[in-house]
Amino acid sequence: MSAPSPASAVQSALARDKLGTFSLLHFSLTAATPLTVIAGGVVVMFAVAGQIGIPLGYVIIAVSLWLFSVGYTAMARHIANAGAMYAFVARGLGRVPGVAAAWVAATAYCALQISLYGLLGITAQGLFERTGLSLPWWVFALAAWVLVGLLGTRAVDINAKVLAVLLTVEVAVILLFSVSNFAHPADGLSFASLSPSALGGEAAGAVLALAVIGFIGFESPTVYGEEARDRKRTVARATLATIGILAVIYIAASWSIITAVGDDDVVAASADPDLMFTLAGDQLGGAWVTIGQVLLLTSVTAAALSFHNTTARYLFALGREQVVFSWLGRTSVRTCAPVAASVTQTAVGGAVLVLWAVLGLDPLVHLFFYLGTASGIGLIALILTCAIAVLTYFARDRRDESVWAAVIAPVLAVLVMGGVMYLSVIHFHTLLGVEEGSLLPTLVPILFGALALLGAGWGLFLKKARPEVYAGIGHGAKAPLVQAAERAAVPVGAAGE
Amino acid sequence: MPDAPTPRLVYDAYLITAYHDFYKPAVAPRVIGLGLGAALLAELVFSGHLAVRSHEGRDLVVPEPRGGPPRDSLGLWLTELVQGEPDALAVSQWLEYLAIADTQTKTAEHMVVAGLMVRGEHRSRWLGKVQVTYDAADALIAQAPLARLRRHLSTMDRRMPLLDAFLLALTEAVGLSKPLYSQMPPGAREYAEGHLRVLPAPLQAIRGHLTAAVADTAITGNL
Repeated sequence: MSAPSPASAVQSALARDKLGTFSLLHFSLTAATPLTVIAGGVVVMFAVAGQIGIPLGYVIIAVSLWLFSVGYTAMARHIANAGAMYAFVARGLGRVPGVAAAWVAATAYCALQISLYGLLGITAQGLFERTGLSLPWWVFALAAWVLVGLLGTRAVDINAKVLAVLLTVEVAVILLFSVSNFAHPADGLSFASLSPSALGGEAAGAVLALAVIGFIGFESPTVYGEEARDRKRTVARATLATIGILAVIYIAASWSIITAVGDDDVVAASADPDLMFTLAGDQLGGAWVTIGQVLLLTSVTAAALSFHNTTARYLFALGREQVVFSWLGRTSVRTCAPVAASVTQTAVGGAVLVLWAVLGLDPLVHLFFYLGTASGIGLIALILTCAIAVLTYFARDRRDESVWAAVIAPVLAVLVMGGVMYLSVIHFHTLLGVEEGSLLPTLVPILFGALALLGAGWGLFLKKARPEVYAGIGHGAKAPLVQAAERAAVPVGAAGE
Repeated sequence: MPDAPTPRLVYDAYLITAYHDFYKPAVAPRVIGLGLGAALLAELVFSGHLAVRSHEGRDLVVPEPRGGPPRDSLGLWLTELVQGEPDALAVSQWLEYLAIADTQTKTAEHMVVAGLMVRGEHRSRWLGKVQVTYDAADALIAQAPLARLRRHLSTMDRRMPLLDAFLLALTEAVGLSKPLYSQMPPGAREYAEGHLRVLPAPLQAIRGHLTAAVADTAITGNL
């Protein structure tokens, strides 16, 4: 009988240092900031859609993203640098579509982050007015912008601890408010909001697009794939658990609001943007209104910080790949944070805030809502393109994945995300609250399309003029290895593929 | 400034990355660990105790049968670890391991024995914990490695030694390009690039994996 091979001391030490499912879940949930979605988004959805099918919208999007995640996490098991969706597009559809996706993704994340300053400014303005301090919204937005800009250039683990505390308090308060709403029903527990007829007409696309934005952050466990303890399982588990947990919170909270106000009155009641807190104040006492608003303020700040970091990492990875300006790939020596990308994102955000303040635009409608929903269109397009990339990737070679993970789920994901994309675009005018045929709803998809075309054009230019840079597209942090191998034409093992 | 040669690449890497002075910023702790790990690997590859072989797209670190055991405890520690592995591990895995194996303290202790550093202990008034510090025995010697690299870049008059070229690559990879190239004459970067391009494949691989590991740290944070 042969002796068993001795265990690897180094691999055992490395395994102890790896992240488990709960750690990955922590990163993805902190990126989602649910109170911002519930208090800032759900009430707006009732008002915009004019119907009660919001919980059903969350059910549909949760199922769609679950289907998408099956193939997405399966593909993540087979590619290095599975950090960002554009990397999946680059590996599945090719590098040129990859660059196009990267440009759309960076712009969409950037716009989403900046839009949050509008909600933040208006929330802080209302809160501070109660204390007698009356200042314009942009003062508070700029204060938050400075804070986010400073934290963004610090080490990520500091941010993660801040976000973790905020998340725990947020979820506890949402659950408390939801239980209270269910305990104080207007007309008893109603299931009408989950009926298929509750979601339809020209508002369906608006509801679905807004619901997708609430789940953004679900894709982040793949960023930590190489740090995961059991990469084949933990990333998939954490991604699916994120979608499941967020779905339960969103469905329960939105359903609880309908239950507390009543099926027939909730749309009218949503004229009050603080509806969630007003209900809590009536049921639990006036102090909870202030507590809720303070927490909403910290939640939106956390969301702004989270999306700031996501955008900065996107820009950093693109800088390292030299797909955009290479100086974006610079890190801070002291903290190793992607400082150049972070400062760039801060500068763009600052410019938008100053412009909005100078032009006197409305922070809630013109900044939070217009920019946020426009970014939603870009993100849905990104998820759809990524779903197609997953399908194409496994169509070439199934790589021992099950038929469900490699074929059935990706096909269903493409169909449902395609449907969501179609409805979101044709109903975009409802989303923006403008007339059908207006310029703005047409302009946003055209802008994203133009951006994708420009990105693809840049990709083609790199292919011809700078083949070594082109070879590194989609490899993120590992791009220099691939580029070096391309330059030297020697077999330096690059990405472990 | 004296060009006092410290005897080893890993010592030079320590003085550049982990020894803080007025002329360069402090480097993030994980990046110091990655940089020192890369220096130690490169040193053992250069001395013929270890080799980097490309196999199925991975750069594996393997023991070099021709070389005898290293004479110092630091090199011996790593060489024995490499030899003790049932299967060869990749450069990236070794860098990751060396970053968490407190290579910084091991190197500093080694430099204390070599007379280059002085170990100090301070008890924190508030926490009551003993803090260990390592200070250079001679501040001028501590600045010598970076000064030597800068002199290569400013004179550009002769071929840079191979280990100095790797040290330059390492200094860039950990993010210290600014203090390295500050006030250098035009053409310094091209001069450096010319040397980095012709690094032997194993050192090139270690450099590439170090750069990628630092970028990974920036993307995922100091996990």
